[in-house]
Amino acid sequence: MSLAANEHFAGSPQAGSARALVIGRIARHLALFLSIIAVWELASATQFVDPLILPRPSAIIVALYGMLFVQGNAWYHMGITLWEALAGFVIGSVVGIALAVAAGLSETFRRYISPYVIVLQVIPRIALAPMIIAWLGFGTSPKIAIGALICFFPPFINTLTGLVNTDEDASEMFRSLGASKRQIFFSLMLPNAMPIIMAGLKAAISLALIGAIVGEFISAGEGMGVLMQRYSFALNMAASFAVLVMLTAVGYLLFVAMEEVDEYLVYWRSDARMAAMSRRCAKAWRAD
Amino acid sequence: MNAFSNTIVAADRARPAMAGGDPDIVISADGLVKTFNGEVIALDRATFDIRRGSFVSLVGPSGCGKSTLLRLVAGLIAKTGGELSVLGHGVSGPSSDVAMMFQRPTLLDWRTAVENVLLPTEVKRSATNADRRRAIDLLNLVGLKDFAFSFPRQLSGGMQQRVALARLLQTGANILLLDEPFGALDEFTRERLNLELMRIVEDVDATVLFVTHNIAEAIFLADQVMVMTPRPGRLARIVDVPFERPRGVELMQTPEFNGLVGEVRSILGGH
Repeated sequence: MSLAANEHFAGSPQAGSARALVIGRIARHLALFLSIIAVWELASATQFVDPLILPRPSAIIVALYGMLFVQGNAWYHMGITLWEALAGFVIGSVVGIALAVAAGLSETFRRYISPYVIVLQVIPRIALAPMIIAWLGFGTSPKIAIGALICFFPPFINTLTGLVNTDEDASEMFRSLGASKRQIFFSLMLPNAMPIIMAGLKAAISLALIGAIVGEFISAGEGMGVLMQRYSFALNMAASFAVLVMLTAVGYLLFVAMEEVDEYLVYWRSDARMAAMSRRCAKAWRAD
Repeated sequence: MNAFSNTIVAADRARPAMAGGDPDIVISADGLVKTFNGEVIALDRATFDIRRGSFVSLVGPSGCGKSTLLRLVAGLIAKTGGELSVLGHGVSGPSSDVAMMFQRPTLLDWRTAVENVLLPTEVKRSATNADRRRAIDLLNLVGLKDFAFSFPRQLSGGMQQRVALARLLQTGANILLLDEPFGALDEFTRERLNLELMRIVEDVDATVLFVTHNIAEAIFLADQVMVMTPRPGRLARIVDVPFERPRGVELMQTPEFNGLVGEVRSILGGH
């Protein structure tokens, strides 16, 4: 949509000033960011702030470069943490959505499981992490389990909310057409709940990453959590910050990936995607 | 007014002894009762017959049982007592002879207009090319020729309700139940859609039960107006509307029309 608008303006006399506005805005944001980094660099270099607390940004970049491209050890650990987070996310979400579907379809089931779900929600689930490690040992599986446990709740509660809030008139309309329960579920309830289910999944993926790292803190030989602990305990703060930057990047990429999936699946919430689907539908129909 | 003294379809026609015996009667109720939770009386002993091809309005204030009556005929809720038959058979659930349209469009946001229209077919079987052509034709009929592939969110409220009307017709049912179908739209859009609705149902030769709380609208559209009063929901009287078809909006300015509006209002006011 915005791309099309820009193209439209490209040939017009306002195009130059519109572009100048955008460039000006980007420049101001960049200037602010670079000033913060510069002040930080200066404060740390002149020992105004203890470099043990805030190492120089240039030192962080050097550490980052070293871990990624000189020693190259960060990739392996990132892979481990990413795998634990993704596996935890998939297991937690599948279990959460499956339970929510069962609870959404059967009021009896909903009544029976709701106290357990509430207990599970009010437990500080991180506190279970040492117990899970005691049960499952030292490999990646306890980290996956912790991630799954922590991220289970948003997909569960969002799916349940989405299914229970099905529009009463719409389901009456389906029943008046003689639709079966199965048809009502797949053609009405599930697509209707999709936007809120996706919101739950977006929350879950960040939580799964937290779960994996907490698991690694408690006991692990590999993963980003281990690197973080190792460097912090050695007071190598530049390397610790470098790990933090990498984890931020991983978290951001996971979130952006979920946003993309969301926009793909819930196309009816985006003007641009609706226009594209309209054209596709029109083409398919004209072919018949 | 006593509900029992007004069980006639037309003043000059005697009620047939057995409703099922008259092929011209498509909906027949006798002492129809609906209570909720065993105590709240939503509909109190309604008795009426509706003739094939007629347009019948149900008018009354909120809580008078109009929607309850419609849902009983649609087979969406079960009666508590009395008799109710559609096309000579007792109502026991939704039937493919009966289709219903709601105050809200109830379109599926993730389907284009034409895919929404096709829904009634797809619920029953997979759609053929003929079904698809019919869906497109129906969208043309309701004036949405250029919007077949638009999504509901891209359409105005009036256009969404037109899609819902096309979907109603796609069912192929010839008994159409409309629950305040244009009640959420602005006055101008509603008037235009009402005129189109009259034209369309005459085309498809359907029997229509139309719920509204607007007296003028009820009379303007209908052959008979069933006047209902609340607490408990009661069918107070069935009023015949004598005006010739086709009708134009100028009808609403005539003294005869306004006389009838006054008559219906006085029935409602007496309760």
